[in-house]
Amino acid sequence: MTSPPPSARRVSVGIGQIAISQDPNEVLVAYGLGSCIGVTAFDAQAKLGGMAHVLLPDSAGKAADPREPARFADTGIDLLIKRLCEGGALPRRLVMKLAGGAAVLGPASAEKFKIGERNAEAIRERLKQHGISPSAVDVGGTRGRTLEVFVGTGKTFVRTAAAPASEL
Amino acid sequence: MLDSAARLVEALTVVARDGAIRAGRGLSGLMGQDIVIHVPSVRTGTKADACDAVGGDESIVLGAYLSIAGDITGHVMLLFPVARALECVDLMCGQAAGTTTEPDEFAQSAIGELGNIVGSAFVNALADRVNLSLHPSPPTIVNDMASALVESIYAEMLSEGAEVVMIDTVFEDRSGKTAGLLIVAPDPACLGRIEGLAA
Repeated sequence: MTSPPPSARRVSVGIGQIAISQDPNEVLVAYGLGSCIGVTAFDAQAKLGGMAHVLLPDSAGKAADPREPARFADTGIDLLIKRLCEGGALPRRLVMKLAGGAAVLGPASAEKFKIGERNAEAIRERLKQHGISPSAVDVGGTRGRTLEVFVGTGKTFVRTAAAPASEL
Repeated sequence: MLDSAARLVEALTVVARDGAIRAGRGLSGLMGQDIVIHVPSVRTGTKADACDAVGGDESIVLGAYLSIAGDITGHVMLLFPVARALECVDLMCGQAAGTTTEPDEFAQSAIGELGNIVGSAFVNALADRVNLSLHPSPPTIVNDMASALVESIYAEMLSEGAEVVMIDTVFEDRSGKTAGLLIVAPDPACLGRIEGLAA
């Protein structure tokens, strides 16, 4: 399946946002991820899908800003998992996938900031603390990505400016 | 009494107009004909506003990115929807519109040069205005989803520890169609200085 069912409704998950859904007709989408990373979650038993759009690796101890709860990897992942569990998910059942973390502004910028790379490391580390290992990862490179997860099935797709959607 | 954001926009509008005149002069020399860059507005916007100006989050854009070094750091990015970028290439090369149909190596190189001229013109206008020494880097060609490029600049700015003011200048042609988008994101530490010059 590379295209959504006709009734699917796309919900955009913007920078720093978290979305949780139990509506099988919804598709959670992070459009045009650059150095940001989209984190998807699915619990088949609870029929629950979720997504966080993480901007930066480390909150440095600051409390999450409710306007951008997933701005940072550490506090963002904690909150995504907390909200999934409040919706009936169990951490051990969660299937989680990551995409993004590219260096789209060229090698000099990538070398200086390494934001994409650091985001990926920080998210993996935080998931590990929750006892979760991502089941699929598509991070790095130089291409922006759009990531989507179908709440009804948990199927997850990534597309770039150069390539059509492929299942993650 | 203008608030801080309004003063900043006012100061940067002056910079943008000066930058546009300088860029127009540079392009006119390159192309052997008079090129005038019309800068209708400067605004501080969100990422969504910036992406909408070039066709939305997933719209594929072609452009050039320059980082600013020197007394302060910052980012400059010139983006065009791909079709408009190709029209610019034809104009720059004195070809009939529609000659360039793909963002091939030649087109990318031309857009890099355009980004270099326009980006440097704005950086130099800003440097003169705030009386600082600023050096634009050589251009990096970008050809990707608008959102991926804009959010990556946003992330780099925020990682420096301050909230972001991104100035996007929408270029329009005479018919009012968006020709391109110039994003100038100076180091937050420099903003007070720019603001102070607005009066």
